[in-house]
Amino acid sequence: MISSKNNIIIGLEVHVEINTNTKLFCSCPTKGNEEPNSRTCETCLGMPGSKPLLNKKAVEYAIKLCLALNCKINKELIFSRKSYFYPDMAKNYQISQYEIPLGQNGSLKLKSGKEIGITRVHMEEDPAALIHPKGMQESAYVLVDYNRSGNPLLEIVTNPELSSAEEARDFMKQLITVLSYLDIFDINEGIIKADANVSIRESTFVKQEVKNITGFKEIERALKYEILRQKSEIKQGKKLMQETHAWDSEKGLTFSLRKKETEEDYGYIFDSDLVKTEITDELLNKIKSEMPELAHDKISKFVSKHKIKKEDAEIIAAEKELAELFEKVAKAVDPILAAKWLRRELVRVLNYNKKELHEIEIDEKHIIDLLKLVEAKKITDKVAQKLLEKLIEKPFDVNSHVKKENLGAVSDSGKLEKYCKEAIKENPKAVEDYKKGEEKALNYIVGQVMRKTRGKATPKEVNEIIINLINKE
Amino acid sequence: MDTYEFVNKIKNNEIDIVEHTHKVIEECKKINKEYNYLNVISEELALEQAKNIKKSIKNKENIKNKKLLGVAVSVKDSICVKNVESAAGSRILKGYKPLFDATVIKKAKEQGAIIIGKTSQDEFGFGGFSVNVGLSFKIPKNPFDKQRSCGGSSGGAAGITQKASFPHIALGESTGGSIAEPSSFCGVFGLCPTYGRVSRYGLIDYANSLDKIGPMGKSLQEVALLQETISGFDQNESTTINKSADNYTDFTNKKIKNVKIGIIKEAFENIDNKVNKKTLEGIKKLEEAGIKTEEVSLKMPIKYGLATYYMLATSEASTNLAKYCGMRYGISEKLEGNFNEYFTKVRSSNFGAEAKRRIILGTFARMSGYRDAYYIKATKVRTKIVEEYKKLFKKYDALISPTVPILPPKFSEIEKLTPLQQYMIDTITVSPNVAGLPHLNVPVGFENNLPVGMLLTADHLEEGKLIQLGSLFEKN
Repeated sequence: MISSKNNIIIGLEVHVEINTNTKLFCSCPTKGNEEPNSRTCETCLGMPGSKPLLNKKAVEYAIKLCLALNCKINKELIFSRKSYFYPDMAKNYQISQYEIPLGQNGSLKLKSGKEIGITRVHMEEDPAALIHPKGMQESAYVLVDYNRSGNPLLEIVTNPELSSAEEARDFMKQLITVLSYLDIFDINEGIIKADANVSIRESTFVKQEVKNITGFKEIERALKYEILRQKSEIKQGKKLMQETHAWDSEKGLTFSLRKKETEEDYGYIFDSDLVKTEITDELLNKIKSEMPELAHDKISKFVSKHKIKKEDAEIIAAEKELAELFEKVAKAVDPILAAKWLRRELVRVLNYNKKELHEIEIDEKHIIDLLKLVEAKKITDKVAQKLLEKLIEKPFDVNSHVKKENLGAVSDSGKLEKYCKEAIKENPKAVEDYKKGEEKALNYIVGQVMRKTRGKATPKEVNEIIINLINKE
Repeated sequence: MDTYEFVNKIKNNEIDIVEHTHKVIEECKKINKEYNYLNVISEELALEQAKNIKKSIKNKENIKNKKLLGVAVSVKDSICVKNVESAAGSRILKGYKPLFDATVIKKAKEQGAIIIGKTSQDEFGFGGFSVNVGLSFKIPKNPFDKQRSCGGSSGGAAGITQKASFPHIALGESTGGSIAEPSSFCGVFGLCPTYGRVSRYGLIDYANSLDKIGPMGKSLQEVALLQETISGFDQNESTTINKSADNYTDFTNKKIKNVKIGIIKEAFENIDNKVNKKTLEGIKKLEEAGIKTEEVSLKMPIKYGLATYYMLATSEASTNLAKYCGMRYGISEKLEGNFNEYFTKVRSSNFGAEAKRRIILGTFARMSGYRDAYYIKATKVRTKIVEEYKKLFKKYDALISPTVPILPPKFSEIEKLTPLQQYMIDTITVSPNVAGLPHLNVPVGFENNLPVGMLLTADHLEEGKLIQLGSLFEKN
């Protein structure tokens, strides 16, 4: 029995599809033609007589992740056969790693600063995709598509150190950040899946496995459901047995698959079709020298070089594309201004539109043009916000748009005075109220001027002009 | 007419290759009616190849360097030949026509070899007598006595090699003795090369860390010729050795000087007197050629070789055979029940008894709780076996022993043997197989009108030395 100060114990086995061009053990492309079973050969179909051939690129990618997760990297890459019968398996065994995984004893930091231990990182091949034409539980038959069969996967196993569904979600999110910094994962189309071991104090921590959870949003949903399910079963007086469940994301529930097998029942043996690959120091050094900056490198750089706040740096660095955008923008405009606009305004507009940065069409030029105008006070913050909203819908040239729509800030005091005079004239009551000491009345007049200028004036400036004019009266 | 002569005649258009191939096919059919050496006669492919050769001769294309031009090559059923049923002697693979040629087939075809068919074998190579053929397959019979076994598992290959009157070489395969042992029973030369010397790409696996493809021929010249053709690095097969192969044919008439051979003491214990006698005659012949011999001891390999072999081979085989479930190729049954029930139905009704036995043995040996004691232990013992051999090869050029402890037995005798007694037939041949060492069966004469073979084993990659020594026994 596990003793823990936490009420919930979660460990994850995360499977990540890495974005090599070809499969792990043959030269079939990992993406392209989507017609079922079109991207296959004798090896990924498991035809008798075929033999696997290791994709060296995949090994390099795997080593990169191990380095990023501070893993100890073993000197020899050894593959084993994991045997079980299932219709998605081309050979009824999966080429995986067993005794000696590629990486061991690593760690990954959550947003909260909590470090989650990584038990192991190993390489394996993806099985085929099973298509249940009428949903997983109802379908009388399944279709098998081997296009995915043999795609390279990395399995990342955590220590059982996560203590909530939210932490599990954040772990996945942090992992995706690392993967995208390393550029070994296709954030748009790559598959990231998790199997979770979840146990709760109420059951004296009887391990329940939930399989097949896709993405970081799903993991929170699935685990919340599973924790509730376990609690309610205990409440009903049931005793939990060690069991495997599957997550049905459409229905939003988990259902029992089978009594849990222990790992050893897979009858692992070495795959002697693949020779042991030595991970030489030369290879390791080469990969180390090619390692890109990771989120934590970016954070310290942003703070020391660009002098932005650590809090801002953390938010920007959490997303590789945002960080890269920031670096480009900070070259052209004040980094502090850039940081403020990227982490507040850009993120706000993206969230509002329910979009991710990689999904929109604008690039750094748009942002730089916009912020240069803000920096030179040629447009007001308000106008800039509106422009950003529009830019995200559909990009356009900022400078010519501002000119064409006449959005430049009204800073010509003659023009501005004219608007102010008009407003004073039109609102005698408010002027009287202000004179009586009602500050709110002044805001009202300023608002009128802002309306007249369609937001192109800075409220502070308008404020001053109006006070002057009224005092002169 | 020897193979060189034949190839030259084909090149000079003195023999019509198409006519010749027709005759070859007819003879195969005739032999097969009596002896069951071929599971498939690839008549269509053979004639197409013959016609293509004829065309290239007519068009004066460059055929000068084609070492096997027009030579009939038979292929063990477990080696994939494109578009020709390749079932490894198992009903579960009935109807499987590979979409690709094994690397050895590709290489043989490039040298002008004509593929005449798939030779019979124990199902997936599981046996030493070719009696464990798959359900609905026929058992090959000894060319010298039809009541007796040709040995196995490359039994059909050895039989057709002995029986064919036309120039022919066989591609056999050995996991634990399946080239040397049937070669001995059928009185032909059979070379099992170093593990990794020949690509296994396209070989239907029995045990991946042990399987080796090798040639069998009536003359050692032919064996050398085919070995030369198929050897070498294959970028599609990770376990092939990245070192160029020797010109093995050069070794057939190389002078023997300063050679020292070790006679394996333990291999002569508990063997048939007649086998003993003939082997000693063979050794005498070597000594007469000026070769020094000494008795050596090979304790570990003889004592533990067989157990080690069966642990490793069945463990690997049980995973290799998992893919046969009636889903993508080979035989299928009526689709009923869930996948588990369906797979079980296909496997229960289409694997033979020995295949099932080895699946069960192998699955057991790698199961949790037994894995360390059996599978992992066996991998460690294997290292020890290799070490013991390596020590001897520092002192000796080759080791010598009988190939099989007995004369080819009658089928009625085999029936009485327990599985373990059947496994014992491999006692001598398993060890060089476990150690991945090249070994050669050399026919040394007849007793009771049955052939006897002697086994020469050399250090890794010393196939040339074996051919050199073996050529002393070439009939001339």
